[in-house]
This record gives sequence, structure tokens and C-alpha cells, in this order.
Amino acid sequence: MARLDANKATLVKDTLGKLIDRKLLASLEVCVRCGICAESCHYYLADPRPEHAPFYRSEQVRRLYRSLFDPIGRHLPWWVGAQRPTEESLAQLAEMAFSTCTLCRRCTLNCPSGCDTAQIMRAMRTVAVAAGLAPEMLVQLADASIAREEHLEDFKEIYLEQVRALEEEVREATGDPQAHIPVDVEGADILYVALSGAHTILPAAILFHEAGSNWTLSMFEASNYGVFLADTARAKRITERIVREAERLRVREVVVTDCGHAYTTLRWEAPNWFGKPFPFQVRSLIELVAGWISDGIITVDPTHNPEPVTYHDSCNLGRNSGLIEEPRTILRAVCQDFREMTPNREHNYCCGGGGGLVATPEWTDLRLKAGGPKAQQVRATGAQVVAASCDNCRIQLGDISEHYALGTRVVGLMELVVKALVPQRAKGHPLEADVA
Amino acid sequence: MSTLEVVTGVLALTGLAVCVVGLGWRVSGVQGRPFRWDVAPAKGSAARGVAYAFTLGMAPWAKESTRRHLLAYVRGILLHLAIFAGLAWLAASPWHAEVPKVVRLLTASVLTAGMAMGLAGFWMRRREPALRQLSTPDDYASLGLVTLFLATAALSAVAAWCLPGLWALSGLMLAYIPFGKLRHFVYFFYTRTFFGLLFGRRGVLESAR
Repeated sequence: MARLDANKATLVKDTLGKLIDRKLLASLEVCVRCGICAESCHYYLADPRPEHAPFYRSEQVRRLYRSLFDPIGRHLPWWVGAQRPTEESLAQLAEMAFSTCTLCRRCTLNCPSGCDTAQIMRAMRTVAVAAGLAPEMLVQLADASIAREEHLEDFKEIYLEQVRALEEEVREATGDPQAHIPVDVEGADILYVALSGAHTILPAAILFHEAGSNWTLSMFEASNYGVFLADTARAKRITERIVREAERLRVREVVVTDCGHAYTTLRWEAPNWFGKPFPFQVRSLIELVAGWISDGIITVDPTHNPEPVTYHDSCNLGRNSGLIEEPRTILRAVCQDFREMTPNREHNYCCGGGGGLVATPEWTDLRLKAGGPKAQQVRATGAQVVAASCDNCRIQLGDISEHYALGTRVVGLMELVVKALVPQRAKGHPLEADVA
Repeated sequence: MSTLEVVTGVLALTGLAVCVVGLGWRVSGVQGRPFRWDVAPAKGSAARGVAYAFTLGMAPWAKESTRRHLLAYVRGILLHLAIFAGLAWLAASPWHAEVPKVVRLLTASVLTAGMAMGLAGFWMRRREPALRQLSTPDDYASLGLVTLFLATAALSAVAAWCLPGLWALSGLMLAYIPFGKLRHFVYFFYTRTFFGLLFGRRGVLESAR
């Protein structure tokens, strides 16, 4: 076992030490290793090995913590299972934190003590980033997001051209030759933050148009790979781009596309990084659309979606953000045959694609295996269509549909809404502003 | 009072003092760490979340894990109830003769059941591969001390001559609490509170929406 050199050892200790707030300390100390959290983890269900149990994983980080911060662990390591870090153990911890935990918090919900294993794994990810042991792909993606703002002028023209090309499809879908996709509009009510690619821009543009919203499209994508790295400095910089844009355009609210981690980040986590609430409201497109349907601002016809549809609760949106009933309001309105998975809502299983796993090709096999419980859940519903409200989940659900031969089609929640949409605006239907 | 009773009584009080000071040190360790209230606007109720975390959220039927591991969970609950009963008995034990016999017999029954739960804990820890792999000497020492404490407490409830044994063992157990796994109960109140705050504010828990 190669011992860490002094600099690295100090770096690890300092990094972990700075992360230990009251919440993390309590989670590090509270576990009695009762073991009943094991089956709450989709990794364990898919492959019931001890190392896939949440308490086992978090115990590995606790051993590091005890060796560095607990007096008993420092002086009598064998008594409490403390383990000083070595090059090998640190690399193993880093791999464990990035590849065998999707930070879904299902184990937290199931722990009798409420131990936040996701926070422990995040702390380990932060240590891994500091020690240069983070997955290269996540680092590159995070840095690319930061670079986009730094070189915005280079991107802007290409981006605007791409958006203009999409407008034709919006006009076709809405039947309105005046329909367009506003970008960089000062004084708009809503700044909509999409993901890279047309699939989260187009449905939203159609729906914003139909609802008569005063909106503008963000120049930046919602995804934040700094969050997957648990690197707050990077994550904050990526978020800052959107915050600055929203402040510059003086919007009343920022609406995040149906993306799990992006919503959780902007809605719940980022205000804490900035130390104050944002001067604008943050909502998910799901909340907006559910409200439009309930208030009769848009009209939908469920017969346009006749196939059996089931819904996968994204862990970030559901368990970590409380967006639980809103997607169901939408699905009951736009589908003829909506079927719940079991378990569902905050108890839903992670699909296996969260925590950045979808973006790290080196762990594809592990990710697909961990998707096994989700595949069983989907199969049990007999649904032909799986609706997802998070892009990472959508990719993973598509992959596991293929891998486990489920024969299901995976669609975004908003695609179903657009398919069920009965355009009314041309007929003088009330606009969102009128109803408000 | 016999010399043995005096010596073991002093031992118990010394253990209690170490426990109080040690736990104070642990609590100040937690309190000394930063804590920031979430500043994002709440969706649900943090207060209702915390209330749930300490009440219905602890019910055996509230969680998939506790439904699945009902026996293990009930074992844990009974063990902890017995420990509280044991500590209450410890406080009352100097007045052994004044405690009605029926109360002492009832206490002994509860403590004996608790001791059985402690022994079952050893069995479970050895049976489960993951638990066996992770268990440290501290795990066994902590469980052993508690089980012996319950055993001597049960014996002393029916036989006064066992009181010095209870006091000696209590001193040892109390002194060990801040240094071993037994201190987890201090952090339990923190994690359950944080659990309620997190899932309550975010409107995840049905009762907090």
C-alpha cells in the first residue's frame, strides 16, 4: 500500500475538514451499522453484495474520517475500524463515490436515523476532485460549461441560428406563422433554461406560445456537471451564468426545463451557495405546465396519447425537490391510461443514471446492471411508454429498455403534453396573462 | 452500606461524570461546526417535517426498510426501550428496598427481554455477511456492555445483592459512551432533525406538503 505523500495527505484532510458541517458530522457519527438500509439501494437490489449496501459504502468514508478527525480513530484505529488513506484506498473511495452511488437519497428516507449517505458520498466526491481522482469526463463537461460563458460571443451566432431553425417547427406545431423563440429579451417575465439540443427547447417553445407567456430563452444550458463533481466552486460558477443572465434581463422567474439535477441545483442548492434567496422565483417547467392545465390555459386531449404510460419519478425532482404531484396532474390530463410504478413518488427507485453516471462511459456496465430494479418496475406496469422528466433518466431508461428488452418507448413528459395539445390560441383562448 | 457498595457506587458516579463531560465535549464538537439554514424559499413545512421525523416517521410501518426488516427493527426498538428502563432503574436502585416488588419484577422482565435483544444483536451481527465484515471491536464492546448492563440491572431488580455489580458495570458503560459507538444517540437527534428539515421544507414528505 503506497502511503500518501505529505502534501496529498494534508490536502485530503483539509478538504474533508472544511466540508464537515453539523449535518455531515451527524451523518458520519450516527450510523450503528444496523444494515437495514441495504435493500433501499438499487445497486444492492441489482447485485446484493455487501459493498453495494449504503451503510457499507458510507462506512468506508467514515473509516477515513475517523482516522483523520476522531481522537479514538487516530490513536486506536483498529478498535473503531479507522483507516488512514493510502494511494490505493483513496482511489477506491473515489471510484466508489462516483460509480456506486447516484446520490438519490432513497437510503436516507429508509434509515431509522435519517443518515444522509448522499451527503457523505458528495463529500467523498469533493475530496476526490481535490486529489485529482474525479472522472475526467465530468471535469471536462463542467469546464466546458464555464468556458461557454467566457467565450459567449463565439457561440452566440451559431446558437441563434440553431434557434431560428427551430422556429419553423414551432410555427408548424402551433399553426401560428408569427410564433417565434425569443432570446435575450429584456423585461421578459420568464427566463427559460433548457438543455443542449432541440428536445427541451421545442416542446417548451410550443407550450409557452400556446400559453401566451412573455418569455425568453436562456443562452446557457441548465445542466451543471459541477454538481455531479460535488465541486461547489465549479457548480457555483456554472450557476452564476444563469443568475447573471436573469438579473440582466430583469425577469420575474427562471423556469428550468424538465431536468432533475438542474432544477434541484437552482431551486434548492444554489441559493445557499450565494447565501441569499435569488431576486427571482425558480420553478420547473413541470410546475408551470401543471398549473396551465389546471387553470385551463392550455387545452389537452388525452386521446392523443392512448397507449399505457407509466411515469418514472426522477430522484432529484421527486425525492429531493418535492415535485411529486405536479407530473401526475399533467399525466392524468394528457394520457388515457396512466399507470403508477410500485413503489412510486418519493419511494421510487433510482433508474441508475443519476449522479453523473450517464456521462461516465467507464461505468456503463455497472449503470445498466443497477438499472435492473427499475426495469422490473417498468415491466410490471405493462406500459408501452415510460415518461421521464429528467434528461439523464430518459437516457438511462432508454438504455435499460434496450438492455432488458422491455420494448418500451421513453419520452419526455413535455413531449406527451405537446402531443396531447389542442392549439386554441388562434381561436382567442385566454392567455396566461389574462387568467393571471 | 457495605464497602463494596460504596466503592461501586463511586464508580457509577464517576462513570456518569465522565459520560456527562464526554458527551458535552461531543455536543460542543457538533455545535462548533457550521450550520446554515436553507435560504431557498420553502415548498413544504419544515416544522411538520421535523414533527414527522420524530413521531410517525419512526413507526415500523413508515419505511420500506423497517417493514422489510421488521424483526430487526423491533429488536432495536425493544433494546432501546429496555436501555431507558435500565437507566431509570439505575437511578432508582439506591432505594431498592422502597420500590414495590411488583414494580421490580416488571422491571426485571423488561430488562431481561432487552438483554435477549442484545444477545440477538450479536447473532445478527455475525449472521449478516456485510455486518460481519464491517463490525469492529467497538461494535462488540458496545453491544456487550449494554447487554451486560441490562443483565445485571435485571438481576439486581430481583436480588439486591447484585446492586454492586450493576453499579460497577454502569460506571464502565457510562464512561465508555462518549468514546465508542454508544454515543450515536446524541447524533440521532441531529440527523432526524435535519431529515425533517430537508424533506419537510422541500415538500417531499406527504405530511409536510
